[in-house]
Amino acid sequence: MGELGPDDGAGNTYSLRPGLQRRFKSSTVKECIHAILKEKLANVQYIPEEMPQLTKSLSEIIKDRLKEEGFDRYKMVVQVVIGEQRGEGVNMAARCFWDADTDSYAHDVFMNDSLFCVVAAFGCFYY
Amino acid sequence: MEEFHPHNDEMIFNADEAHNIVKECIESVLGKADYNHNKVNQWTAAIVEQSLTHLVKLGKTYKYIVTCAVMQRSGAGLHTASSCFWDTTTDGTCTVRWENRTMNCIVNVFAVAIIL
Repeated sequence: MGELGPDDGAGNTYSLRPGLQRRFKSSTVKECIHAILKEKLANVQYIPEEMPQLTKSLSEIIKDRLKEEGFDRYKMVVQVVIGEQRGEGVNMAARCFWDADTDSYAHDVFMNDSLFCVVAAFGCFYY
Repeated sequence: MEEFHPHNDEMIFNADEAHNIVKECIESVLGKADYNHNKVNQWTAAIVEQSLTHLVKLGKTYKYIVTCAVMQRSGAGLHTASSCFWDTTTDGTCTVRWENRTMNCIVNVFAVAIIL
């Protein structure tokens, strides 16, 4: 029998699934978002001039926080929507075309008497 | 067997193409409608589902995320921002704003490449 090199038993292996500990977990992500929103928006009033900056910085903060969470081989999308609270109707929906085994999302809503904020975070595994 | 080139132009996400698809979907669903609390749920669902179906039919090797927000027009402000952690060379996004007399609609498409 020909030897082709040291036999390490397994040869090349490629994992096509995230490890259980490294999975994008909705509950963990939701907690993260909830904590950040509570901290950043608790006493914020809706001031039109400040909102573009605030929405941008919130999405950056949340994305950076999720990166620290150590989800292995995940691409992440964070979307932040802030609106003025004036009793108007708003409806949001999302649909995804992805691998339901590995990919997931989480969302959280924050409201005070001046504004509402909806954050949705999506995690896509890359193989 | 045909060779597979994930990076030729036809396989890569094209924001303009996506923009047109989404815009047509919004127009076909909202058309000349006025804001209606009982229907808005149905509308947003229809917009994201139709857009997604059309995007998938392009046959590109992408995972898609489509979000849609419809807001009643009342002079109140709305801001959205997104932040992505991904490969900018392959992945892309597209945003479509649409409005009529009674409502504003914002649709976001995020396309995440499957093949690296």
